[in-house]
Amino acid sequence: MIRSLRSVALGAILLTCASALPAAADAAETVVLHTSFSPDRLGASTTIGFGFDIANTDGGPPSPLQGVSLRLPAGINYLSTTLGLAICQPAALLAHGLAGCSPNSRLGFGSAYVEVPFGQTSAYEIPDIQALMGPPHDGNIVVLFYANGREPVYAQIVFAGELIAGSETLSGSLDAAVPLIPSIAGGSPVSIVSVRTTIGPAGLTYYEHVHGRTVSFHPTGVSLPLRCPRGGFSFAASFAFQDGTSAQATSTVPCPRRR
Amino acid sequence: MAYRVSRRVGGATLACCLASVAAALGSGIAQARQPVVGLDAGTVSLSESGHLHLTSKHGFTLNEQGSAAGTIGGTIYIHLRLVSSSRVTSEVNIYPHGGSLSGYGSASYHVVGSYASFSGSLKIARGTGSYDGARASALRFTGTIQRRNDAVTVQLSGPLTV
Repeated sequence: MIRSLRSVALGAILLTCASALPAAADAAETVVLHTSFSPDRLGASTTIGFGFDIANTDGGPPSPLQGVSLRLPAGINYLSTTLGLAICQPAALLAHGLAGCSPNSRLGFGSAYVEVPFGQTSAYEIPDIQALMGPPHDGNIVVLFYANGREPVYAQIVFAGELIAGSETLSGSLDAAVPLIPSIAGGSPVSIVSVRTTIGPAGLTYYEHVHGRTVSFHPTGVSLPLRCPRGGFSFAASFAFQDGTSAQATSTVPCPRRR
Repeated sequence: MAYRVSRRVGGATLACCLASVAAALGSGIAQARQPVVGLDAGTVSLSESGHLHLTSKHGFTLNEQGSAAGTIGGTIYIHLRLVSSSRVTSEVNIYPHGGSLSGYGSASYHVVGSYASFSGSLKIARGTGSYDGARASALRFTGTIQRRNDAVTVQLSGPLTV
């Protein structure tokens, strides 16, 4: 099933609404946020690892995720990166998958673990996730997330996140509205249990034309600052769920050890 | 940064001199052929374009050097500093024949795939030599940065009082 792009503003609306609504009677979602830098070296180009695990306090499947807002630490240098030298059009991505976009538009990749309800029971699926550079929105960088599930639910989904790049002193943010993913006709949407993905050059190869030849190269990622903030690099995230609840989580990448 | 020895333009006013220089520029890009248009006494319409390459990069600052062509021409240096997700500040120094111009600007900044663009205004705060006392309060300041190699193109336009 293919879902169209939604306005990134929906994410903010969802988060606002979620915080204004009372939580469901007993059940609530809890989220653990995971973040990493690879390499974790001050001043170096790095790949940001980002992931989360969602659980429900009543032990059942978590409510379907509808919005994620990730706050990134200040000092990360986006000026240095050559990631996303090409722009991927969402329609091409939906129609042709990853082959529909230039390799130079890839920003990272990972996978998800989703619970698919079938009647009284559930199945599980591990769709691939690709992050690509989308057309800018209101002057901001747009990250397209492409999830490709095969079994038991065959689904390709594209949704967008808007990246507000930070600066030396200002933190950045990535806000995404996540579409609901129906499992079977008339069935409940699937529940995202966990996600692991990267934004960075690790595992990516770009291509350019040099004197009539196609040459591969590895893009440069965002750079870590030369000095580590006290307490490390702090990330925070808000998650909005279909049942109207929300959850917050934080994660810190410790300062690298001095050599 | 290198500084050229300034030479006073004898006789003619600077505006006339600039017009002559611009007219004397035979071939070149279209903007380089544009004649200087005097707006008021001592005011010229500046139209300058530059092509620069990266000389160094320090944190959020790109240091660029290149050549400018247009109303005045010469060697151009730009320091571009990313101050927020969508804003850059700049210091621009141009060394035309016989003097120099220095200015500071601010511009919006957006990444569009293989390049980033900036658009804003620039104030000429200082001139030396033939451009001693030159001033401009709000030159239009636009350009692009090729993200693969940080090469910059820049356009400056607007009234310059000399």
